[in-house]
Amino acid sequence: VREVFLVVLLLVLTAVYVSWTAGRLDRMHARVDAAWAALDAALVRRAAAARALAGQLPDPRVARALAAAAQAALEAGEQGREAVENDLSTVLRTALPMAPEHSPQTRELQQAATRVGLARSFHNAAVKDTRALRSRRLPRALHLAGSRSMPHYFEIDDTALSQ
Amino acid sequence: VRVGLVCPYTWDVPGGVQAHVRDLAESLLSLGHQVQVLAPVDDPDAGGLPAYLVPAGRAVPVPANGSVVRLLFGPLSLARTRRWLREGHFDVLHVHEPVAPSLSMLACFAASGPIVATFHSATARSRALQVAGTAMQPALEKVTGRIAVSPAARRVLVEHLGGDAVLLPNGVFVDRFRGATPLPGHPDGPTVVFLGRIDEPRKGLAVLLEGLPELARLVPDVRVLVAGPGDQQQVLAAVPRSLRRHLMMVGRVSDADLPRLYASGHVYCAPNTFGESFGIVLLEAMATGTPVVASDLEAFRRVLEDGAAGVLFPVGNAGALAAALAALLGDPVRRRALSRAGGRAVLAYDWETVTRRVLEVYDAAVAAVPVEVSVPPDADLDDVTDEDDDTGRLLPGLRRWLAARTGRDGGA
Repeated sequence: VREVFLVVLLLVLTAVYVSWTAGRLDRMHARVDAAWAALDAALVRRAAAARALAGQLPDPRVARALAAAAQAALEAGEQGREAVENDLSTVLRTALPMAPEHSPQTRELQQAATRVGLARSFHNAAVKDTRALRSRRLPRALHLAGSRSMPHYFEIDDTALSQ
Repeated sequence: VRVGLVCPYTWDVPGGVQAHVRDLAESLLSLGHQVQVLAPVDDPDAGGLPAYLVPAGRAVPVPANGSVVRLLFGPLSLARTRRWLREGHFDVLHVHEPVAPSLSMLACFAASGPIVATFHSATARSRALQVAGTAMQPALEKVTGRIAVSPAARRVLVEHLGGDAVLLPNGVFVDRFRGATPLPGHPDGPTVVFLGRIDEPRKGLAVLLEGLPELARLVPDVRVLVAGPGDQQQVLAAVPRSLRRHLMMVGRVSDADLPRLYASGHVYCAPNTFGESFGIVLLEAMATGTPVVASDLEAFRRVLEDGAAGVLFPVGNAGALAAALAALLGDPVRRRALSRAGGRAVLAYDWETVTRRVLEVYDAAVAAVPVEVSVPPDADLDDVTDEDDDTGRLLPGLRRWLAARTGRDGGA
């Protein structure tokens, strides 16, 4: 009788754990999706702000480079998005210091760049938590994540762009 | 924005986290936002509690690491937290120090929606944090965005919990300090100010006292104002009788008198020996306009911009400290220059600046989790009666919690 009780208890605990973990995974995938949507919006805002500022730069070569990088970022598809946004970050590091200090376009670009930094950090934190839970033994063995693809980090170098 | 702040430590016991939460709440309010703070409170009937404070019960003292931490954890606290979350309709929930087993962690467990967490601790209690890191992952993974108040706190976070955090410093209300008038009768001759627990070694009063003979030799009429709680007799006993006339023991100073204390000296001295993750006292002195001489701890070097906004001396080196103090006391031009540089440097830490950056984090968190803060509708724990603490309620609570869990999961 005691063995039966222990087996039942074990089954109940496993069921509770599995259902709880599946719920956690659901929430975490939803969190990654929402965080990506926010990051996507922040990147688009930054590229648009960069394009708007390009005309105000004193150096025509940097202005052309910024306009081109911004346009490429706005047109990029899912493939190669990181590389294109990274290029824009690189140009911005040169362009932002020479931007007119009190222009509303400069201010908007600074805010947009700060937002990209925050959104990217929130997105990658969500990805990290999700990947950590999915790589645990039990969720992997039981395919608790279902058919959802493993989320990926979004890595660009945006240091020195956030305030 | 409607912000729900959670402070894990007892509100009416002084502490760095409590002060941070209070200042942030007041700064947010002054910028026109709506704020509530949920915190453990020892005496909810005491006067003077702010209107934005929601008491969550009385915390239980728990011995930890040689000192006592007061924590609040249990089904009653959980129920109160859930009710507060449900009734608050917050746009964003901002928990402080969520790794402490207290209200912040409970709030993380209970809530869903945009959650921002600020990490204060810079001391790596590594084993506790590693255990915590795994056990609290379900709570921490609900956090949308993390803030660390210092590079040291951020390092602890990266090393022990993984992941990164936005660096946002502690703030200081610059306006409350700028232009303060000295305490009556001060300064009377060249004066150095020290503030901090006088019997706590890491505050470094011993270093200052060790350098006192040399300082008195270089500046014969020097006075040292020593402010802060602790046993004055014990401190004085360690000072040669002939030098005691240089010391003025002020004792504990009220918050209201603090700016006047900084203004009462020509130089502020921070001889801390270790363990200071953030130089809030330095910032206050700088805001007052008093030049600072501080040990070259990492946190102090950063606040003083590597010596551009204040004088640094090697940690624990009493001779160097005495020489630096004497040089500054004899050089009014240098003092004025440092006062100006300090006044400029402190602006980056003004609460208004810091709070605007916190608001950017809130905005980004709401964008990443575009829903209101809510409590997932499970567990019928909200009908608990108001008792003062959780003692004795743990088992019935646990039983009901289990009942609620299994009942729900069976149906899922």
